[in-house]
Amino acid sequence: MPDFTDTLRPSQPDGPTTLARERGQSDLSVDGLSKHLFPADGFLERQARILHILQKEPLFSKEKQQNLSRVERFKLGLARAKLLRRMTDQHRWDHEDYKMAQYLVDDVSPYFLHMEMFVTTIREQASEEQRAYWMPLIESWKIIGAYAQTELGHGSNVRGLELEARWDSSTKEFILHSPTLTASKWWNGSLGRVANHAIVVAQLFLPKPGSPEQYVSHGPHPFIVQVRDMKSHQPLNGVVIGDIGPKYGYITMDNAYMLFDNFRIPHSAMLCRYSSVDPSSGTYTKPEQPALVYGSLTYVRANIVHHARLVLARAVTVAVRYTAIRRQFQDRDSDKNGPEMSVLDYPTVQIRILPLVATAFALHYTGLSMQNVYRATREDIESGDFRSLAHMHSMSSGLKSLCTMLAADGIETCRRAMGGHGFGGGSGLIQLNNDYLSKPTVEGDNWMITQQVAAYLIKKMTDAVESINTPGTDETDARFKEFIRAKRQAGASQPISLSNDQDIVKSFELRATALAYDAYEQRVLKKQNWNSLLIQLHKLSKAQSQSILVATFFKALSTDQTLSGPTKTVLWDVFRLFALYTMENEGYEFFRCNAVARSSLNALPSRVQGLMARIRPHAVNLVDSWKIPDYLLDSALGRYDGRVYEDLYNRAHRLNPLNRITFNPNYWEEEIVMGTGENGRNILSKL
Amino acid sequence: MPSPPPDWVKALKPGGPQGSELLAQERAQSNVDVEKLSELLHTKEALERQDKLVKMLQPEKVFDKSQNHSLGRVERLKRALAKAKRLQQLAEQNQWSMEDLHAANELIGEPTPYGLHASMFLVTLREQGSPEQHKLFLERAEKYQIIGCYAQTELGHGSNVRGLETTATWNPEDKTFTINSPTLTASKWWIGSLGRTANHAVVMAQLFVGGKNYGPHPFVVQVRDLETHQPLENVYVGDIGPKFGYNTMDNGYLLFNKVKIPHINMLARFSRIDKETNKYVRPSMPTLVYGTMTWVRSNIVLQSGGVLARGVTIATRYCAVRRQFQDRDADPNAGETQVLNYKMVQVRLLPLLASMYALHFTGRGMMRLYQENQKRMQAAASPSQDARGPGPEELRAGADLLADLHATSCGLKALASTTAGEGLEVCRRTCGGHGYSSYSGIGPFYSDYLPTLTWEGDNYMLTQQVARYLLKSARAVLSGKAADNDTSRILRNYLDRRDKGASFDILEEDNDIVAAFAWRTAHLTFEALKHRDAEKRSWNSLLVDFWRLSTAHSQYLVVKNFYEAVSSPELSQSLDQDTKTLMHQLFRLYALHTLEREAAEFFSSGAVTVRQIGLTRTTAVMKLLDEIRPHAVRLVDAWAIPDWQLDSSLGRYDGDVYPDLFRRASQENPVNDLVFDPYPWNEALLKNESPKSKL
Repeated sequence: MPDFTDTLRPSQPDGPTTLARERGQSDLSVDGLSKHLFPADGFLERQARILHILQKEPLFSKEKQQNLSRVERFKLGLARAKLLRRMTDQHRWDHEDYKMAQYLVDDVSPYFLHMEMFVTTIREQASEEQRAYWMPLIESWKIIGAYAQTELGHGSNVRGLELEARWDSSTKEFILHSPTLTASKWWNGSLGRVANHAIVVAQLFLPKPGSPEQYVSHGPHPFIVQVRDMKSHQPLNGVVIGDIGPKYGYITMDNAYMLFDNFRIPHSAMLCRYSSVDPSSGTYTKPEQPALVYGSLTYVRANIVHHARLVLARAVTVAVRYTAIRRQFQDRDSDKNGPEMSVLDYPTVQIRILPLVATAFALHYTGLSMQNVYRATREDIESGDFRSLAHMHSMSSGLKSLCTMLAADGIETCRRAMGGHGFGGGSGLIQLNNDYLSKPTVEGDNWMITQQVAAYLIKKMTDAVESINTPGTDETDARFKEFIRAKRQAGASQPISLSNDQDIVKSFELRATALAYDAYEQRVLKKQNWNSLLIQLHKLSKAQSQSILVATFFKALSTDQTLSGPTKTVLWDVFRLFALYTMENEGYEFFRCNAVARSSLNALPSRVQGLMARIRPHAVNLVDSWKIPDYLLDSALGRYDGRVYEDLYNRAHRLNPLNRITFNPNYWEEEIVMGTGENGRNILSKL
Repeated sequence: MPSPPPDWVKALKPGGPQGSELLAQERAQSNVDVEKLSELLHTKEALERQDKLVKMLQPEKVFDKSQNHSLGRVERLKRALAKAKRLQQLAEQNQWSMEDLHAANELIGEPTPYGLHASMFLVTLREQGSPEQHKLFLERAEKYQIIGCYAQTELGHGSNVRGLETTATWNPEDKTFTINSPTLTASKWWIGSLGRTANHAVVMAQLFVGGKNYGPHPFVVQVRDLETHQPLENVYVGDIGPKFGYNTMDNGYLLFNKVKIPHINMLARFSRIDKETNKYVRPSMPTLVYGTMTWVRSNIVLQSGGVLARGVTIATRYCAVRRQFQDRDADPNAGETQVLNYKMVQVRLLPLLASMYALHFTGRGMMRLYQENQKRMQAAASPSQDARGPGPEELRAGADLLADLHATSCGLKALASTTAGEGLEVCRRTCGGHGYSSYSGIGPFYSDYLPTLTWEGDNYMLTQQVARYLLKSARAVLSGKAADNDTSRILRNYLDRRDKGASFDILEEDNDIVAAFAWRTAHLTFEALKHRDAEKRSWNSLLVDFWRLSTAHSQYLVVKNFYEAVSSPELSQSLDQDTKTLMHQLFRLYALHTLEREAAEFFSSGAVTVRQIGLTRTTAVMKLLDEIRPHAVRLVDAWAIPDWQLDSSLGRYDGDVYPDLFRRASQENPVNDLVFDPYPWNEALLKNESPKSKL
């Protein structure tokens, strides 16, 4: 319905004018940088192609979804997931195309676990025979699966799982049984309402050789189990399953609980590529390399690290564009009659947003390198070489912890830097925050898993000390040995003065190495209690991962041949901002480790502010280079065209279902909706 | 709701020691007198009120919380209005005081659409209306015959009130004002209770008289018809849509197309238009208005302790019940370790436990100062301070104590609400995976609390006012004309001792800790002064320094207030020796943990040495964690937050974490009512449902 507000315009200068000026004032090549970020893999081409198809489907419109109840929003999520799967056939999408569509629609898919952990686990842990049986069923979607490991009482500590799989040698079956309430599977995605099969991780109990009455636990093992009827979709007898209820985010995911009551599954249910039970004797065959079970988890962590860059890029795209447009107060030292200042010109805003712009690039390069390391390690393993696995596992743990923390906190920092409107549904950062904030605690709690990094580094340091006279076997070993030798010779070496970019990298490496040595000293030499060291070990993991981010960023820019001119210059500044801002926040530790000269440390705040001033004119172009489409942003504040206020008003005035309802505000009348007589009791009885 | 689980499920118990046993053990290992400590924190009267209200409200079905996190926005708002109405009916029947109503609102646990009527609308009418206007508007508003809100913020303007675009133009010919929205960005925005509920609004608009702008002023404007509740002609009003939190509040937008209102509708206690001469009459006592801001912010500081306490209560109890991994160095047959025994959990949680006490005592201190000051101000109020412009945030000399209090309240509001907001998220993450469930009780509460970091002055913007005040005080100290207040004292003390150096014994002497915080603040103040006055740096380029300065100053104030509270006779008289010692340990933990986190500043200001920081980190803080750990559960019990208010499976007083999570998931979760068809090629979402229904 037309009304007088249709003709109102925002006050000047408006968003489009401001963004045009921002884009004009920078000589950074947006397309050049985009090509550098997304080179040969066809990411941008694919994004454009899939986006075009998605936007024609009304079901994928995001306009009103924030208003829905959990039930309705879940239904919408499932409807979209189904449609995406059908469109995959219709448009002959490959897996990358499908993943792109999923990424753009931006719902956590209720099919996610079927397509990821379920199939990956079968692929990696099933025997050849099992794969031959299950893979066709999975790939043709004749069955839909999930992955059920975590329990109500146990997450990170997989060995503590309580669900039992007991071998019955008389019937040659396993009996799945939940002995306690805390043995209930919990949090398992895609299982609450959708899957009919699941990989179930349970403690394997086998009869003790010689005394068959006694059972011995062989630790957690994966089983493939049908849990729902293929016709009625009801849980099978002896199985109780459901969705665990509303969460902070992940509204379209049916995270599950699941309990078993002496539920029998055949011998063939146990995935037996690495360990198996002989059906006739009931004897157990051990895996050659016990760490292998962690293979899928490492894969998931590597993906999480790779994904973090796009998440943060999205948040900074919104924050940079909006704070460039938003104006607030005149500059105190300038003309009082000029327009108000762009909020992005406040150093207090810059220091929250610009280091995050830089962080997105840091995550990008490390994400890419993680993918490569993962692929290489995978190839090694397939060819029977397990040496790089420990390194990969440690690296993925530390980076998962640091990168998800940076991205999660980064989204929230961006949201808050946008003031009041950042809190509104039009910010585009709400579902992102809600969904992404699962990451710091999922797939290994960010604090717990840093122990794995520390344990690995302490072991490496111990090895280095013991073999000090042999040449370094890998990069870390060489660095550790150099440190130990320097320590033995000179005592305190000269701190680094940060006069060039290479020095910055060295400084980060030196601090990480010094902390690793400290930890080695405390734990190995002084035999300190592990628990008393946890805080220190967490800091070590963080230092190590920060050092990887900085070194990888540096290496990427140093070896790059695709960028030139002002774009390259700006990107070097972006590198410095990331590194020096990080260093400033950890200043005391760098100083204590003698990793930086005091004068360099004191100069950091002004160097950081100087870098921000240099990067500021390029801020909009830098975020434009990520080419995040408006459809994905779903943000009034972050739109490419800058029509912030028009969009906010449109969402409020025209798209908000609440505005179609007239309330009765008088407290002495029970009626809630004017003219309907609907009162509190009616509303409650509908539940 | 879903059907109950089968008997074999009902018979299951959690594995290992039960939550109730673990909490009983926790409570047995500490001798903190929970009851005495509760009374010290809240007063006996408030605790009794809380008990009485929980008993009255919890059984009423309308206040049921089980579906809060599953419902859609429209349903949530309907239910919130039903709750608000019921509360008002109860208030009338039981003749509740303001405190009763406030406590009841806290207990039901979510904002209601009457929120802004009951607070800002009534307060503004009362404080800024003339006696005639009180008769016309306030009396009806108090009876809810008219329902109002406070419409200041606009789509394009928040903190900068002078930048508001809505206009109110005086028409001498018919003695009316015309309220108009000249642009889209002039739309009022974020206005609580306005979206669907209010029929009146106090509208802040730029006053134009004879072509001249007199700045923003408040006007009472009717926006909806009292019978039909439809917007009046040429008024566009609605709800702004779903938000990160606060979804039970109808934050509104509002636009006017040249709407005329009578002369009487301009709130006229402080400034007005003379109807006969058409002249603007200047405000007489502006400092009182600015006292309200100080009061609001002091309240935010006081509440921040309680807000944080909710998160810390949940996380502490849950981490005492949750067990994970055997201790690497212990007997492998010992059970798993309580998560609360992990140092990396303690180092996140226990400093927050200390912070909630610190903020609470600081808020108390602020309120006391405010009340003392109001008395003095009212005695000494002089009508000569009328030079103040229309911006609400400008400082004027003349009321030194109030100026000090005002700056203090700005900085502390920023620090306290940031500490509480971020602390809640730390608590949520400390709960690991289950923290992500809405049944943890932290996530939804966090989302509802977050606007506090932005409203009543954005936390970053506010720090400029603190810095401005500190710079001014430093100049006054240097010129020997300083007012007699604490700020001047710490600045003077620093100047006196600067050449001798600090040499504070922070590891042994509690008052030296306070002195070290004061020293750092003074050092940063004179550094900033040097940049601004001697080096002539631009204001804008110093904003990051100012923000750090304000944070340092506010941390000093918290440390000082906490120290004064734990050393006070009031505390000594009400607590036994052990609990008193524990309060001192909490003070030290808050102060030393903060000092360690801000190590670089303490070190570079010369307040402490690198060696002291090293010892703080490796020895002092670790020892405090060990000392406080056994008392953690009792220390949160003392906040006496009822289970019904916590609304948390993880934070239950009885420790029945797992059965409660399971009960909610299986019995209160509407998703489990539905049987889905999981296959992508079946368009039907539900079994036995036709494909074209819904959506």
